[in-house]
Amino acid sequence: MRRIVVLISICLGLAALTTRAAHTHVQLLLSADTAKPGDTIWAGVDMKMDAGWHTYWKNPGDSGIATTIKWDLPPGVTAGEIQWPLPEKLPPAEVTTYGYENEVMLLVPLTLATNLPPGPLVLKVDVAWLECQEQCVPGKTNVEATLIVGGETKTSADAAAIESWKNKAPQSSQDWSVQAWWEKLANGDTRPLIIEGNFDGDIAGLLPDKFDFYPDARDSFEIQAATEKVANTSALFCFRKTAKKFSGDWPKEISGVLVFGTSQAWTKTSPNGIEIKLPIKDQSPAEETTSATVSTLPAQPLWQMLFYAFIGGLILNLMPCVLPVIALKILSFVSEANSEPHRVRKLGVIYTLGVLLSFLALAALVIGVKTAGHHAGWGMQFGSPVFIVCLTTLVTLVALNLFGVFEVTLGGRVLDTAGELASKHGAAGAFFNGVLATILATPCTAPFLGAALGFAFAQKSSIIVLIFLTVGLGLASPYVVLSWNPAWLKFLPKPGAWMEKFKIAMGFPMLATVVWLFNIAGSSYGKNVLWLGIFLVVVALAAWIYGEFFQRGRKRKTVAAIVTLILLAGGYAFALEKELNWRTAMPDISATGSLKESADGIDWQRWTPEAVAAARAAGKPVLVDFTADWCLTCQVNKKTSIETSSVREKLKSMNAVTLLGDYTHFPDAITTELNRYNRAGVPLVLVYPKNAAAQPIVLPEVLTPGIVLAALGRALE
Amino acid sequence: MKKIIALFATLALAGSAFAVEIGKPAPDFTGTDINGKTVKLSDYKGKIVVIESYNSDCPFCHNHYATGAMQELQRGLAAKGVVWLLVDSVNTNNFSYRTPEQARKEWTDLKIAATAWLDDHSGDIGHLYGMKTTPHCFVVAADGTLVYAGAIDDRPSPSGDPRTAKNYVRAAVDELLAGKPVTVVQTKPYGCGVHYAN
Repeated sequence: MRRIVVLISICLGLAALTTRAAHTHVQLLLSADTAKPGDTIWAGVDMKMDAGWHTYWKNPGDSGIATTIKWDLPPGVTAGEIQWPLPEKLPPAEVTTYGYENEVMLLVPLTLATNLPPGPLVLKVDVAWLECQEQCVPGKTNVEATLIVGGETKTSADAAAIESWKNKAPQSSQDWSVQAWWEKLANGDTRPLIIEGNFDGDIAGLLPDKFDFYPDARDSFEIQAATEKVANTSALFCFRKTAKKFSGDWPKEISGVLVFGTSQAWTKTSPNGIEIKLPIKDQSPAEETTSATVSTLPAQPLWQMLFYAFIGGLILNLMPCVLPVIALKILSFVSEANSEPHRVRKLGVIYTLGVLLSFLALAALVIGVKTAGHHAGWGMQFGSPVFIVCLTTLVTLVALNLFGVFEVTLGGRVLDTAGELASKHGAAGAFFNGVLATILATPCTAPFLGAALGFAFAQKSSIIVLIFLTVGLGLASPYVVLSWNPAWLKFLPKPGAWMEKFKIAMGFPMLATVVWLFNIAGSSYGKNVLWLGIFLVVVALAAWIYGEFFQRGRKRKTVAAIVTLILLAGGYAFALEKELNWRTAMPDISATGSLKESADGIDWQRWTPEAVAAARAAGKPVLVDFTADWCLTCQVNKKTSIETSSVREKLKSMNAVTLLGDYTHFPDAITTELNRYNRAGVPLVLVYPKNAAAQPIVLPEVLTPGIVLAALGRALE
Repeated sequence: MKKIIALFATLALAGSAFAVEIGKPAPDFTGTDINGKTVKLSDYKGKIVVIESYNSDCPFCHNHYATGAMQELQRGLAAKGVVWLLVDSVNTNNFSYRTPEQARKEWTDLKIAATAWLDDHSGDIGHLYGMKTTPHCFVVAADGTLVYAGAIDDRPSPSGDPRTAKNYVRAAVDELLAGKPVTVVQTKPYGCGVHYAN
């Protein structure tokens, strides 16, 4: 009984083996029965699959294995590359593969050496494949065919079939122009890619919805199967694929088959696909044409950039951010000029040192950010909410100090009588003023400074340091000059009671700076910025208690000190840590669509390169404003020169498109755009003329309504 | 503001087909093993976990088990405290589906040395991890971070001895145990497609 069972199971097993391996029938066909030495003939590895079974393309896709062909050829015969007919894209969507159903013939050119002796040649080949239906079965076989080397070429009976399969293998073509470019930077290990292009022949019969790309298989990355059509008025086809990286860098080029769908009317002498191999560009062709004209700005000589850096630093003294600190500097000069003139020179030097060291620190920060591979931009520290909170608190304390709420040994004691001003206090004050001036200067760019910094950010580390130090020298230069020649100080007013009033008055621009910083913090924290305000009130109360009861008081000084500390600690723990969660900002999710500031304000749309391209394609002039909440120059520009009735009316009459690029949280796309115009930061205002081929007009950093109107006027030409 | 962020975040997550990313926490899942026990990935927090997408009818998977190479690897890693989970995402209508009873028999017959075989015929775990082939392997570090996803080794073949291949799973586990960073973090998985329900 047992033997019968064993016999039956062996038979069943054998039957299973033969049926399981036999879903694909393979034979080797040749295009010629006889060939001459030196000829190239075609071999066709013909694979016929049972219904429902399929084998795979050279890139099998998400699963499966490509068919492999290993030749065993007699000497004098060499095999070329396999020509793969265009495959089908096989479902399901989550595991998409590229393969063949029913039949495929893989074609290989065989070249005969010129010195082959006449006679028969046996050409053997090992074919291995994976055939799949509901399940997968590996298959392999060894097939052979005989070719006679003789004096003439005689085509075989299979030549017609081989020729028809050759016509199903995609070739490269000059009739198609195709471009590939990265749509965005990577998101983890995936990155979107756009493929677009045109056909130079008659496009009637091409189905625009049926374009696709079947990639070649690569080790370090894959192009995933999903294809998403993208609207594009300037290209016949435009679709998005996603690249996934396994290792190494993002690929610089892709190769594979561009596939297209055709209607019945299309003449079918060649396959519905062409072989393409192209570089992946970093920007769309639309952007390329605009940037090609702009990015080739003449390389500026270093001395010119250093000159700009110095002038820029000088002008920074007048910028709204820095002015309050400069006012403090004036106060200290006035007092010192009178009390100890010989120390003025020393303090001027120390102030300069403070500025220079701060700029050195900034340069180091920029170099560090660049080395880490990120984009560096002028004013980028304002993107850190921690920095904004610390700076806001600091400026609040400075304002309170100026109001006389409490004293600090940091430049507050202006009414000290001569001699009491210890050298240590004055030096510390001078140094701190230098550092503060630098910190507050960073979100502002002055004329000349933008060009110098834009140049610097693209250079190597030593140049960056040099330019930053030059800006620092420019910023500190008025005081170096003043302090070096004490004789000039006689032009300053004599000290007196006015100094106390001036000091208190300077507290108000400081308060204005607090409000402005508070507004920037608002974009990082949303409505919760209320808690920052509450924290500042607590800080103000602590400052008063410290000043009134500790510094000026006589009794219970320890109690006052303890109360101050409790207030500060409590305010920090409750308001900042708990309620505000101050170290993590919430990214600004602005609503899509219109970014109008007021009812009759300009109707700003969100800036994207596509929006620019679309507007230009429609023949409309475009006004682009790159701005950030923390950029005071940008806000001043907007208030004085852009959101004015004359400019608004002009924009309306021109039917111009207005695009706003919000750089508050440093989106990479805008950093790239700024770099293209050799700018390190905002503001950047561009006017694209009506004529789509014309270059954009780059406006200077500090605007007037006249400058904007003139540019808009030129845009209409 | 917070609500808007949460909404966007969930939409983004829903939109992305695959929630797994090297270097990020491996998503937690709950499955039922072939013995009826509930198994969660988070049960094994503190241990290295290897997840293998399994289907013994697939010739690639079959070869790993028929040669004994897979069981040897499972035993070797278990001795080092590594947890090995098989995830069988074959849908119930497919030829290769195994009922829990058939699966238990297969477990014994093949002498599988993994920790558990999860019956994922709904495809939830497979979809969560973006499992495309059998075998498709994932290595999760003791702190829950996904450190490897991809092929089991560099030899996509349905025959021959897998022991001769460079095994990415063993390499990743060895590097984790040595406290070194994993050098090969991602490769293209090979094998037959996972038979998800349609």
